[in-house]
Amino acid sequence: MSGPVKKDGNRKPRYPITDFERIFHPRRVAIVGVSAEEGSTGFGSGIFQAIKAIGFAGEICPVNPRGGRIAGLTIYQRVLDIPGQVDFAIIAVAAQHVPGVLEDCLKKGIAGAEILSSGFSELGTAEGKDLERQIKDIAAKGIRVIGPNCFGIYCPASGLTLLPGPDLSRESGPVAFLAQSGGMAIDLAHTGKWLGIRFSKMVSFGNGADLREAELLRYLADDPETQVISMYMEGIRDGGDFFREIKAAASKKPVIVYKGGLSRAGRRTVASHTASMGGSSAIWQSVLKQAGAIQVHDSEELTQVTLAFAMLPKKSFKSISIIGGGGAIGVAACDIAETYGIDIPPLSPDIQSRIGNFLPKPGSSAINPIDVANPYVAPQALKEILLGAAQDERIELQIIVSLLFHYQAIARLFQKPVAEITPYRELAQAVRDVVDQTGKPVVAVLPNAKRGLDDMDITELIALTRQEYIHRGIPVFDELHDAIRAVARVNAYYEGKKT
Amino acid sequence: MKNDKAIRLIDRALRQGRKTLSEYESKQVLAAYGLPVTREVLINDRDHLEKTVQKIGFPLVMKGCSADIAHKTEKGLIHVDIRNITEAKKAFREIMAGLAGFEGGVLMQQMISGRRELVMGLTRDAQFGPCVMFGLGGIFTEILRDVIFRHAPLEPRDALAMMQEIKGHKILDAVRGMEEADKEILADMLITIGDIGLDIEAIEEIDLNPVIISGTKPFVVDALIVLNSN
Repeated sequence: MSGPVKKDGNRKPRYPITDFERIFHPRRVAIVGVSAEEGSTGFGSGIFQAIKAIGFAGEICPVNPRGGRIAGLTIYQRVLDIPGQVDFAIIAVAAQHVPGVLEDCLKKGIAGAEILSSGFSELGTAEGKDLERQIKDIAAKGIRVIGPNCFGIYCPASGLTLLPGPDLSRESGPVAFLAQSGGMAIDLAHTGKWLGIRFSKMVSFGNGADLREAELLRYLADDPETQVISMYMEGIRDGGDFFREIKAAASKKPVIVYKGGLSRAGRRTVASHTASMGGSSAIWQSVLKQAGAIQVHDSEELTQVTLAFAMLPKKSFKSISIIGGGGAIGVAACDIAETYGIDIPPLSPDIQSRIGNFLPKPGSSAINPIDVANPYVAPQALKEILLGAAQDERIELQIIVSLLFHYQAIARLFQKPVAEITPYRELAQAVRDVVDQTGKPVVAVLPNAKRGLDDMDITELIALTRQEYIHRGIPVFDELHDAIRAVARVNAYYEGKKT
Repeated sequence: MKNDKAIRLIDRALRQGRKTLSEYESKQVLAAYGLPVTREVLINDRDHLEKTVQKIGFPLVMKGCSADIAHKTEKGLIHVDIRNITEAKKAFREIMAGLAGFEGGVLMQQMISGRRELVMGLTRDAQFGPCVMFGLGGIFTEILRDVIFRHAPLEPRDALAMMQEIKGHKILDAVRGMEEADKEILADMLITIGDIGLDIEAIEEIDLNPVIISGTKPFVVDALIVLNSN
């Protein structure tokens, strides 16, 4: 280096031209490491079965040096033996064989490969690091690599799936998810399935030898299939690149980030106040805010906030109404909302009196939060109450809290299944009608105080209700706090964009 | 170039194998970038005392200045609110005695009065590179930790957001008979600190603490620049 000065300037990374279409929507996929033996539990056979089970739309070309046949398909001995064009490769062979296979993929003109195998830099050994360097070198010659040490790509539209994901949803949606961790990816993919989060594409990139956060953010920022980007990060390769790309992406669509491994204490010894105040936690928080991204603090919040961004209109909701039955709900709701800077204004007197006509007496309250006093108020009455509250022009969003588990008492009295006597379909339809008539979104909350083995019928009832809501485009949360916090994060994003 | 002087100072310190710049050197670096630092002169010689006093004017602050000494308060090396030449002579004697053994001198500086103390700074994060800090200064920096960071380079909106985001942001408004602080100057200072970090890689950390608001204008009253060894 020459002297203490380095002109940083505005250096911009040049990413290689990449055919992401062939990577996410391949027509022909080579799977390397598929065994011809029945009942093989290797990664290669696992991903082969998973991709078949999920119903991959294109053609699968299994590869194994020993050849043979599997599920009526010829197993090619080498990638180069496959006739015709191959778009994408899934590599699941022992680490020391990966460079050779990848070199073949490059020669074959394959656009990208995911390497599921582990045994690379994550081991910390000289051999592992050297193998990963070889992968990088081959990638630089013209093939994009996802991994190694990852669960790969999930793309519902094409039917690419994560390593143990034969039963993931084939329904596409607005959310893209990025993570180094394959575990985080597969968990969110499964959770999303019943929670109503639909994905455009998901990438678990493991060690990230080639394709990783910054470049994938750039791609997703302009991906028309993606409306919301969600990500779990541990380390990043280059802070400057990451900052530039996440800022650019967040200016186009919401980016939700769960940064793991934040410790308060800085690792190095520092002499100044400034450095001692920093530490990774404070810096990350500031940088994400500066970039306009939304930071969340655990995987539950990540899921809930992603759901809210995916299902709510693209705006902020500063003033809301809350409708629910049962004592403390009003006070708790106000406390939570205040914490997150959301207003629950008392409804105007004429609206209160109109709503009052549909409320059971005594014990109810039409002020806002609206306390319907008992959990058995009919969906038709709830609909009128929601319609009434929406007439207050300050109200931008409504939350309805239903304590459906109380229906169990009635069901047992009449010796009927709880799902049969609970009007959950009518409830979901009533809420949908309200959204259609008022143009104001409604969020449903379904707390369950009965989760024990004695009450599996309630668990089923909640799942059925959730499904009815989701089919009608209504987001559902387990707890009021989760719902309000998620709305607050949506607000933070759209308010931040205004300034 | 505006940073020529700054680079010369840093080069010299590095050649001497030093990890820090003295307060006086640190402020010269900051002044080279246009930051509002206190008017000050470094002297070693008692004979220069009277002329310097005339140049700065009373009241003034006298500090022992050495790159080797970080915590001046504890060592009796700071004398404030000096109002006449007799006090100045006494302070000079005591500081020189206190410096015994360390290379340095006596820093004679304009005394800035104001009740609002802020902190600004720069840290080089392992992942993000230079990050600028802003927050409550003086003894409150460590007690309240009410600080906020931004990744350099800063845009004006980033600098303004930093001032808005600290919990004690109302301290910058017109409160309790004090005028509203000049946020434009404060924003320029934060942007400049980020630019220094991008310009000069040898700077590892910068501390401006306190930055005192006098009337509406901020002044850098104490400063420390830490260098990195690469």
